[in-house]
Amino acid sequence: MTDLSVASSPASPRLPNDVWAAPPLLVLAALFFYPLSLILRQALFGDEGAFTLSHFGEVVGSPLFLDGLHHTLVIAVSATAGCLLLGFILSLVIAFVPFPGARLVGRLIDTFIALPTFLVALAFTFIYGSSGLLNESLMRLLHLPLPPIDFLYSQWGVILSEVTVYTPFVMRPLLAAFSLIEASQIEVASSLGASPLRIIGQIILPAALPALIAGGSLCLLLTVNEFGIVLFIGAKDVITLPLLIYDKAIQEFDYTTACVIAVVNVALSLGLYSLYRLAVAHFAGSRAGLV
Amino acid sequence: MATPVPSHLLRSDIATAGEARSALSTAAAPSLADRRVRGIGFKDVTVAYGGLVVLDALTLEVRSGEIVALIGPSGSGKTTALRAVAGFVRPTRGRITIGDRDVTNIAPYARNIGMVVQNYALFPHMRAEENVAFGLRARGASQAVLRERVAESLRLVGMEAYAKRYPRELSGGQQQRVAIARALAIRPQVLLLDEPLSALDAQIRRSMLDELAKLHRELPSLTVLYVTHDQTEALTLADHIGIMRDGKLIAFGASRSLYRHPPNRFSAEFLGRANLLPVTSVQPIGRGLAEVRFGEAVLAATNPHGLPQGADCLLCVRPHDLRLRQGEGGHNALAGIVESVQWQGEANSIVLDVEGHRLRLTCAPLGEPPEPGTPLALAFDPHVVTLVPETSGD
Amino acid sequence: MLVWSRAGRILAWTAAALVFAIVYGLPIGVIALASFSGQWNDVLPSHLTLVHYANALRGDSAEQAQVSIVTGFAASAAALICGSWAALALRNLARLPKRALDVLFFVPSAVPSVSVGLALLVAFSQPPVLLNGTRAIVLIAHFVLISAFTYGNVSAGLARLPPEYEQVAESLGARPFYRLRRVILPLVAPYLIAAFSLSFALSMGELGATVMIYPPGWVTLPVGIFSLSDRGSIFDASALTMILAISTLIVLVGLSRISSKASVR
Repeated sequence: MTDLSVASSPASPRLPNDVWAAPPLLVLAALFFYPLSLILRQALFGDEGAFTLSHFGEVVGSPLFLDGLHHTLVIAVSATAGCLLLGFILSLVIAFVPFPGARLVGRLIDTFIALPTFLVALAFTFIYGSSGLLNESLMRLLHLPLPPIDFLYSQWGVILSEVTVYTPFVMRPLLAAFSLIEASQIEVASSLGASPLRIIGQIILPAALPALIAGGSLCLLLTVNEFGIVLFIGAKDVITLPLLIYDKAIQEFDYTTACVIAVVNVALSLGLYSLYRLAVAHFAGSRAGLV
Repeated sequence: MATPVPSHLLRSDIATAGEARSALSTAAAPSLADRRVRGIGFKDVTVAYGGLVVLDALTLEVRSGEIVALIGPSGSGKTTALRAVAGFVRPTRGRITIGDRDVTNIAPYARNIGMVVQNYALFPHMRAEENVAFGLRARGASQAVLRERVAESLRLVGMEAYAKRYPRELSGGQQQRVAIARALAIRPQVLLLDEPLSALDAQIRRSMLDELAKLHRELPSLTVLYVTHDQTEALTLADHIGIMRDGKLIAFGASRSLYRHPPNRFSAEFLGRANLLPVTSVQPIGRGLAEVRFGEAVLAATNPHGLPQGADCLLCVRPHDLRLRQGEGGHNALAGIVESVQWQGEANSIVLDVEGHRLRLTCAPLGEPPEPGTPLALAFDPHVVTLVPETSGD
Repeated sequence: MLVWSRAGRILAWTAAALVFAIVYGLPIGVIALASFSGQWNDVLPSHLTLVHYANALRGDSAEQAQVSIVTGFAASAAALICGSWAALALRNLARLPKRALDVLFFVPSAVPSVSVGLALLVAFSQPPVLLNGTRAIVLIAHFVLISAFTYGNVSAGLARLPPEYEQVAESLGARPFYRLRRVILPLVAPYLIAAFSLSFALSMGELGATVMIYPPGWVTLPVGIFSLSDRGSIFDASALTMILAISTLIVLVGLSRISSKASVR
């Protein structure tokens, strides 16, 4: 019997590793980076084809744009703060006050990520709208002539919707981080006489900080980019950058203006994305349970 | 492992159903003469990562049919040496040979080695038998060869009853056996074992150690490179032991003589427990012995490393080579004061203070262990203690 | 366990359950209720009806559901191939080019979907490639938007794969393609399936880019839901949202079953 040895030809000439990365990169270049670069070209050259910063100047200086930027930032920051708070509290209960079905709740929250964002905005019109569940109930109970709750068609409606939608994105890394805290650590702290609040402050919060920062910066990115919720709530005076781009391009066919705004929006998003990557890299993403 | 299999079944020179399928073998059948030189050779092998040398000019020969253990603390380069044989680490300098073939530039899949790693790395999506068959399938072996080899390999490690199980349905020891069967199924020229027992608990580790020894008795022509940090495993299994430190091989020799006559301080302390007493003024007295001074006392010991007259060195006494004596005086006698006594079940361990040095002695359980503070007289046979150079081993 | 007293625990649970119900249960419940409502002028609907589902199952809405599912599957399949390919190709690269390319493959997930839509609209309304008004441009948009997520999922799976599996396979004589087929792909199968599920869900709910570029005759469910709610047919919109959510969940649950089977093996 002979050995089933593999051909011992010294290392057959293999393709260098870099070559294999080329096909997907080309696809991405053709379908994503090339179109993206054309936005910049349109913003800088307009329809006339000559380089000018005038489009930029005009758009960036306009009150419409500044208002949109302002709303975008206020909504993103407030929604992110809300997500962090709500996500931290809910994760805390799921992870550290275990109850039967806690895992199921975790799964449900995961599933919520998969649902379209505008579902919440649509639901909120039924709940908090002027003739929604809450207002009708209050009017009936208190015999009020007018709906008492009126925040949905302001930026608060958008913020509340976004908190609902994006809290799971904070909870995922948080739950992963919490699962790495050994139960014995908390038991020892308790046995040493630390109160729950003290344990949260001195053990849980420091351990969760990387997850909070990573989840928070992801939230910030997603809320800056959010479109569906703002569109569905449709408040007249709540215009964010993505909505502005949509209005300019689709309603007014003003591509150059849309492209200028898109350049700013993309730059803002990429900045936030770098922040997110830095946060994840700094705290070693694997530990924070982030991809 | 269940029934012993006649070792000829595993030898590759025995005809099997697959013999006619010469198409399977791409290399010509190696002659018996070849087989005798199927060792592993390291010649000046250096591995460096970005300037950091992790393996420094290793030259070492593992002879055919031999088990060589590389031991050393973590980061000593022992695993790097093994991975260089496997082909997962590329030497920056030097050559590696398997048998008479230079494999330095050959892809790992073409080296025909068997490898067993610490965490077994059984493919979780395959049954035990599919795991064992993996290497054969990768070579395009026929069904007949496949069946026979898989059965044979599983039988050899006593796992034939578990062929249909998935890895997660097996215990750690059982997984390890399947991993060994998988490595053996391809009839490798050499078997590389990388800390194969360190993930097992103490009891299973002992029994696996016995079984590895038995396996080698059944496969006497198999060359094994065994990497471990556990000196017991090395002493139990290996014909030769290499001790590594900071990327360098600092000692190499037959297991027994390396244990008896460690060439340097590090080897003495890493391979087994050692009492090392600083002694002065070596005075050779013939027959491989020499006299040294330890304080007032004159002691005789073996001098295998030929330390010259007048040199200062260390006297290496294994704890079990120290004897308790009645009375004082006599040859090779030391006086100490008991510091502590431990009862360890099958032995007593006594720590003594001998002129400011701590000595450990182990002996059969004593009926009446001495109290701390008691003076005790000790002695040793000059033939079992060794003079070791002061150098740490560099 | 953080709270030791029974009362404290019950308090914590109740509070969490209440928050959870209001934040997550209520919106879904309300949409579900609205999808069955005949009229809703009071606190609760005056009567329930199936007419919105009947509307959803015929004509435009049924077609939109079909469009969404076809788009979701096609874009997810393309993204799965492209993303897995990229993740596998990057695995063996040196540290620096690997990190650089890794960022590149992730960038699409950071760019707002409306801007992606606008970019495609601008790029493919002019030569050399004219795709404006075709179905392809919708597929491309969805593909671009979800490709980063499939890439991320698959590379996370690969990163979690202990290198020993592949090394042992290689030492046993398996060549690169054989290792890929018999060891790596089966071991990362759960991640591939998870990547596909996530992609599919994202595609099903995609609105920002689609609304910028969809051609007549290729309207996805979210766009259809928006135009219904814009026209004031909010009950029909709710029914369609329910159909969207349920069909997404069915696919997700089905795939996660396959995935757990694959990982149990």
